[in-house]
Amino acid sequence: MRILRSLALVAIAWTLTTPANAQRQQISDLPRKDVLIVENPEGTVKNAGWFNIWAVNAGSQSNGLHQLGMDTFWYIDPNSGVDGVWDNSLASEKPIYNSDFTEMTVKLRKGIHWSDGVEFSAADVVYTIETHMKTNGLRWSAAVQVNVASISAPDSSTVVFKLKKPNSRFHALFTVRWNAMWMMPKHVFEKAGDLIKFPFDPPVTLGPYVLNSYDTDGKWFIWRKRDDWQKTTVARFGEPGPKYVAYIDPGPPDKRVIAQLNHELDIIHDTSPEGMFTLAKQSKTSRGWFKGFPYAHPDPTLPMVIFNHQNPLFKSRDMRWALALLIDMKAVSMASYRGAATISAIGVPPTGRYPEYYHEPMETWLKDFEVDTGKRKIKPYDPTVGKQIADMLRPSMGDQIPSDPKDIAKAFGRGWWKPDPQAATELLERAGFTKRGNEWFTPDGKRFTIRITVEGDLRPVMTRAGSMIAQQWRQFGIDATTVVAQGSLLDRRNSGDYEAIISWAVETWGGHPDLSFFLDSWHSQFIAEPGKPQPPRNWSRWSHPELDKIIEQIRQIGFDDPKGIELGKEYIKLVAREMPTIPLMAYNVFTVMDETYWTGYPNAETAPYTDPVPNWGNTKYMMVKLRPKN
Amino acid sequence: MRGYPAYLIGRLGQFLLVVFIGINIAFVVTHATPIDPVEQTIAAATQFGATSPEAIAMMRQSLKELYGLEGSLWEQYATFWRRVSVGDFGPSLSAFPAPVSTLILRALPWTVGLLTVSTLLTWVIGNLLGGLAGYYLRSRTLRFAGILAMALHPIPYYIIAFVLLIVFGYLWPVLPITGGHTMNMQRGFNLAFIGNLAIHSILPITSLVLAGLGGWFMGMRALVSNVVTEDYVVYAELGGVRPQRILGSYVMRNALVPQVTGLAMSLGAIFTGAIITEQVFGYPGIGTLLVSAVHVGDYSLVLGIATVSIVAVSFAVLLIDLLYPLLDPRVKAR
Repeated sequence: MRILRSLALVAIAWTLTTPANAQRQQISDLPRKDVLIVENPEGTVKNAGWFNIWAVNAGSQSNGLHQLGMDTFWYIDPNSGVDGVWDNSLASEKPIYNSDFTEMTVKLRKGIHWSDGVEFSAADVVYTIETHMKTNGLRWSAAVQVNVASISAPDSSTVVFKLKKPNSRFHALFTVRWNAMWMMPKHVFEKAGDLIKFPFDPPVTLGPYVLNSYDTDGKWFIWRKRDDWQKTTVARFGEPGPKYVAYIDPGPPDKRVIAQLNHELDIIHDTSPEGMFTLAKQSKTSRGWFKGFPYAHPDPTLPMVIFNHQNPLFKSRDMRWALALLIDMKAVSMASYRGAATISAIGVPPTGRYPEYYHEPMETWLKDFEVDTGKRKIKPYDPTVGKQIADMLRPSMGDQIPSDPKDIAKAFGRGWWKPDPQAATELLERAGFTKRGNEWFTPDGKRFTIRITVEGDLRPVMTRAGSMIAQQWRQFGIDATTVVAQGSLLDRRNSGDYEAIISWAVETWGGHPDLSFFLDSWHSQFIAEPGKPQPPRNWSRWSHPELDKIIEQIRQIGFDDPKGIELGKEYIKLVAREMPTIPLMAYNVFTVMDETYWTGYPNAETAPYTDPVPNWGNTKYMMVKLRPKN
Repeated sequence: MRGYPAYLIGRLGQFLLVVFIGINIAFVVTHATPIDPVEQTIAAATQFGATSPEAIAMMRQSLKELYGLEGSLWEQYATFWRRVSVGDFGPSLSAFPAPVSTLILRALPWTVGLLTVSTLLTWVIGNLLGGLAGYYLRSRTLRFAGILAMALHPIPYYIIAFVLLIVFGYLWPVLPITGGHTMNMQRGFNLAFIGNLAIHSILPITSLVLAGLGGWFMGMRALVSNVVTEDYVVYAELGGVRPQRILGSYVMRNALVPQVTGLAMSLGAIFTGAIITEQVFGYPGIGTLLVSAVHVGDYSLVLGIATVSIVAVSFAVLLIDLLYPLLDPRVKAR
């Protein structure tokens, strides 16, 4: 017993004598002030020693590899860009197409070097493309094989692609929006043997950093600024600030918050709304994209209620509109993002520069837009919903809630559809639905049921949105419930194994108004048969002759043609009339940046120069803006 | 001992049968997953970037060929057994072309190290305190230890883990809360690295010990409470044998037999990993690997981990069965 007591006393003594502020050593051999520590949302990387990014899904992408090590012809910023939305990166100018879009010429920037000192040239581009043409199973093999007939290099800084068929958006393959097809170092890969089995460790990079060290168990990767960073494409904008950048797996959302409160994690990729509010309250050095509410960065992605149009239940436009008019967007915003949502009534996300391209110009049309219920015409658009959400939050959040209408529109979005159960009743009755007691029945006499598929705790925000919508429909007398799909959501969505699903079928460039990024895949030519996998992104399998016409017209015009915005507005009007999916809000990412060690992060108010969400390839531009705090 | 060889052969046969049935069930369950690894790969490769639908169709076909998923389920089953018989689980479908066995062997030492230490610590401390508490019924310290053990026992593991995380990670941040060792540290068989490993394992091990202590404590206390009433203990006391000797040689030794069985079972289960511990403390190991494999439908990897676990647990049981007749005459007699 004496031994036990002695042990207890030693433990208590150790506890009392250890200083409360004792700091854990987080990085060995590197000064903390030289290292930017960033969350890699991929978590623990299974195959940590794999840096051959061209082998599909073999290793990590966002462990710094594609942000700091890779490069390609062009970048489009999801926000405003360091020097405009479009950046010629490895290319020295924009793509040059011939008149019928069957040929694309790319002029390459000179003086760019790989990290091993070899100069980048047209030979690398030709090698990259030809390798993908003759090798199946690489990440971009299929995209190259579908499009490219041949490639040639008239000189060391020019490449010419001959295409198999006209494609006015072929350059999108080499234009970074999150990622794109990266260039391969010919001098390394031509000696590699079987490319599918070549790990490319250590990677030879074109970006401004090289791999310093990594954890073979996949928990962290540290990148070091190249000594010859002047020979990389970002040098045009200055020297990258951090000497080292560490991409780590910090664990679940609660631990990310703890790590940032301890100043051990400079950039959280994403946390829960509750985690964000905790950091806003408790940390003086943490900030989000917005200084105050809603903090989060709205990704150029549009979560929505997606109906399965191969299910006869959703054939009726009146029924789809009725379902939209039964949603109270304020409640959905509160349930999903605790109010920190940026809403959109129309079929493009309210993010990046899209509000100025589409939302503002469409406002008048939306106010005048009418829906015929069969008994009367209603104007369903309420331009004040964003303001109403701001007003609801102001009593609890105080001066964190903006009061200027422009700021409110930027942070919370503009209007949405007014809840109108009476109009919904009229529309459903016109579509042949009947109400008996408090329950609705379909035209063929069955109980009107809708199963909304949600992802569950893998994506709690979207799941809460789905639950709230199901509840609102249920209150109206529809038998609506949610089905939790967890990890099988992608499979169910892709194979059409759902009735309605909370997901997104719309993703845009963010900075550039061209909609072909997602819209081209909405053409009826790509709709899969029921049960067969649907290619991204028309998950609803909706088709419409007018939509096909719009898409075909977009294919005929150049990427920067001003007609593109006009055609984009036609698409928005069409989907507002037809309501094939119900747009909800932007996918808001609670990226939180700690200014203890670094300043110069992008933000909505004064520096919207890029997306702060650190798994985007575009965040390479963040490095040239970051500076040590002291 | 004449019947022992027959007993041994019988038990070995049972072991092989259990392993065969277990692996077959694991094969069926993993292949019944609604998650298609090809679709997961396509989603990962295309969900952010520019995508042409024709290219996706072509990609789907070439991935099926690459992953060897084109044959029927029977063909895949035959291939699986062919590979398993030579210790090869094939390539991981979510980290292709890395072999499953490489991924498992990389993660396994972390899990085995963590769980072996925590299991042994829990067993030793729990049994020692339980034995003492069962023998020294009037000790206030041990009664308090009993209350503490009973109070900790019903608390869900993740609550204990999160409390430790908040206390030592945030309120009083003296211990590392993530990873197996400090970032950028050179691995090696030296004091600095081993010390660093030990510090990083304090919280995960403490959480496991606190969560598991109560069971061993209460079990041992109950066993000792029974043993102390046995005649031979009473005679020893009357004969003036020292209490420490009675406790060590007469009471604890006899009470330990069922606890040793429990320990062997627990050590066998080590290979199934400590999923919540690894998730909460960001500790590398089999649990993290398994969760990630399940999420992306990597049934090669899930099956590889399941096979290792089935063999390990069955082997632990086999070992106990084989050792028991040698240790306990009552079992031998049967």
